[in-house]
Amino acid sequence: MPTQRTAVSSQLAEVADPWPAHGGEPETAILCVEELRKNALSNSRDASRAGDAAIGIRGVSKSFGDDGDDGRLPALQAIDLEIRRNEFVCLLGPSGCGKSTLLNIIGGLLKPSTGEVFVNGRRVVGPLPRDIAFVFQEDTLLPWYTIAQNMHVALEFQGVPREERPERVRAALEAVGMSEFARYYPHQLSVGMKQRIAMSRGLSLQTDIVLMDEPFAALDEQTRMVLGEDLSGLLEQTHKTIVFVTHSLAEAVFLSDRIFVFTARPARLKSIVTVDEPHPRRPDFMTSDKFNGLRNRLYGLLREEIREAVRQNV
Amino acid sequence: MSVLTGKRSWLRTALASPAIGRLGVIAAGLLIWEGLARTVLDPEFVSPPTRILQALVTRTLADPTVLRAIGTTFWELLLAFALAVLAGTAVGVLVGAGERISRTAYPLVLMLYAVPQVTVLPLFVMFFGLGPASKVAFGFTHGIFPIMVNVIAGMRDVSPLFLRSARSMGASRMQVLRHVVLPHLVPSFFAGMRLSVAMTLLGVILAELYASIDGVGYFAHLYSESFDPAPLYALIVVLALMAVLLNELARRAELRFTWRRR
Ligand SMILES: Nc1ncnc2c1ncn2[C@@H]1O[C@H](COP(=O)(O)OP(=O)(O)OP(=O)(O)O)[C@@H](O)[C@H]1O
Ligand SMILES: [Mg+2]
Repeated sequence: MPTQRTAVSSQLAEVADPWPAHGGEPETAILCVEELRKNALSNSRDASRAGDAAIGIRGVSKSFGDDGDDGRLPALQAIDLEIRRNEFVCLLGPSGCGKSTLLNIIGGLLKPSTGEVFVNGRRVVGPLPRDIAFVFQEDTLLPWYTIAQNMHVALEFQGVPREERPERVRAALEAVGMSEFARYYPHQLSVGMKQRIAMSRGLSLQTDIVLMDEPFAALDEQTRMVLGEDLSGLLEQTHKTIVFVTHSLAEAVFLSDRIFVFTARPARLKSIVTVDEPHPRRPDFMTSDKFNGLRNRLYGLLREEIREAVRQNV
Repeated sequence: MSVLTGKRSWLRTALASPAIGRLGVIAAGLLIWEGLARTVLDPEFVSPPTRILQALVTRTLADPTVLRAIGTTFWELLLAFALAVLAGTAVGVLVGAGERISRTAYPLVLMLYAVPQVTVLPLFVMFFGLGPASKVAFGFTHGIFPIMVNVIAGMRDVSPLFLRSARSMGASRMQVLRHVVLPHLVPSFFAGMRLSVAMTLLGVILAELYASIDGVGYFAHLYSESFDPAPLYALIVVLALMAVLLNELARRAELRFTWRRR
C-alpha cells in the first residue's frame, strides 16, 4: 500500500477495505456494497468467544505509518473490552490518545493492526451500515442538500426502499423537534441544530448500535446539556447500544452506564467506572453527591494521563 | 426639503453603483480612443469607434460572405466547446476517481496544459485540412484542459469526511459519485467551463488565422493585409460578442446549478 495518498481516498488509506469507488489499487478486488455487506460480518469460528456482547474487542492494537518506519505512531495498545446490548458507554481519555481510532475500528472504517472486533458475535472486516450508525464530531451534512434530502440520502445509502423513506425522514425529524426545518440547507442552521439533525440521522438508520464521536464537542455548554438530556430520553425508547466519545466528565457521568477510561497515547484501558442510575436521567442527577463523587473519581483517574498527553504534545 | 435630499441621494446612489461606474469607464475609454484616432493616430492602423460601428453595419453585417464566415466560426466554436466540455468532464471524472491513475496522469495533464499548443498547430492543419475540422480540433484541444484540470482538482479535494460518512452508511460507488462527488464538483466545473470558453475561442481563431479558406479569421487576415482597420475592428467586436455570449450562457447555467447560491 503506498504511503502517500493524494486522491479522494487519501483519508481512507487505512481503512479495512479499499473504498470501492476510489480504492484505486488494481490488484485489490473492487467490492460492491452487497458483497461488502455480506463479507463485513464474516462468520468466524471465533464467534462463540464473543458471547452475548453487542461489541467485543479482543487484543486490538493500532499503529499509524508503515511497518519498520521510525515515524510509526502507536495509537492503541492491546485493548480488550466488551460492550453489552442496550448499554450506553463512554470512551474517556486525554486528547489524541486514540478514542476516534478505536471508534472507527469498531465501525469497520479502519483496520486494526492486530486483534479483532466482533459485532453481534461476528467478526468485523468492513463497514456495517445495517448494524452500526455513526455520528461524527464534524459536520457531515452535505451542504448541497436540504435537511430532509440529507436524511433521505442516508436511508438510500443504507438501502431502505424508496417508498419507506419519506415517512422515516418525517418521523426522525419530528423526534428531535426539527420538522419545520426540513427544507432548510445546513448552512442556514446553527451548529447546535445541525448536530441535532446529525444525531437524528444516526438514529433514523435504525441500527442496533450507534457510535458517536464527540457529537456535542462543537456546542456551547447550555446546548450540550439540553441535547444530552434529549439523547438520554430518546434512547430510553429505542433500546440501542451506544458508544460515545467525549471530553466532558459531566457528560460522561450524566449519560453513561459505564465509562471506559483510557491512558495517554498509546491508549490502554485504565479503568472502568460504572454509573448505577436508571435512564432517562433527570437534570437534578447532576447536582447529586453521587454524580459529583463519580465526576471527581474520573478526574482523579485522568489527571496524570492528561499531563502525560500535554507532555507528548510539546 | 425631503424631496431634494431624496433626489440627491438617488443621484449619489446611481453614481456610486458599480454598474454605472463601469459604463462610465467604458464611455470615457471610447471617447479618448475616438479623440486620439481622429487626431494623432495613423488611420492605416487605428479606426475611431464611430468608424468601426459604421463598418460593422455597412460592411460586416451587410456582406453575406462575411456573415457566413461569422456563422462558420460560431459553429466551429460551439462544436469545439461542446466536445471539450463533454470529453473534459468524462476524462476528468475518470482520472480523478482512481488513486493511482490520478497520481500518474494529473502531472501529465498539467504539463500538457502548460505547453503552448500553437507549436503543434501546423500538425493540426496537416491532419485535418484547411476546412472547419482543423479549427474544431484545435479549439477542442484548447478548451478541454481547463475543464479537465478543474474537474480533476475538484475530485481530489472532496471532503474525506463526507466520503467516510457515506461509506459508514453503506453507500455504493455510484451513490457516492452521484450524491457526494458530482455536487461537490459543480463550482469548479463551472469555473473551468468559463475559462474553457475563452480558450476554445483562442484555439479556433488561431487556427483560422494560421490557414483557412473561411471563417472570421480568414477575413481578419485579409483586412489586416490590406491595411483596412475599420472592418477588422468590427470583426474583433463580433468575436468579443461571441465570447461574451457563451460566457453568459455558462454563467446562467452556473447560477441555475450551483448549490452555493441556494
Ligand atoms: N490516519 C492517521 N494517520 C496517522 N496518524 C493518525 C491518523 N489518525 C489518527 N492519527 C494519530 O493517532 C492518534 C490518535 O488519534 P485519535 O483521533 O484516535 O485521537 P482521539 O483520542 O480521538 O483525539 P481527540 O480527543 O483529540 O479527538 C493521534 O496522535 C493522531 O494524530
Ligand atoms: Mg477524536
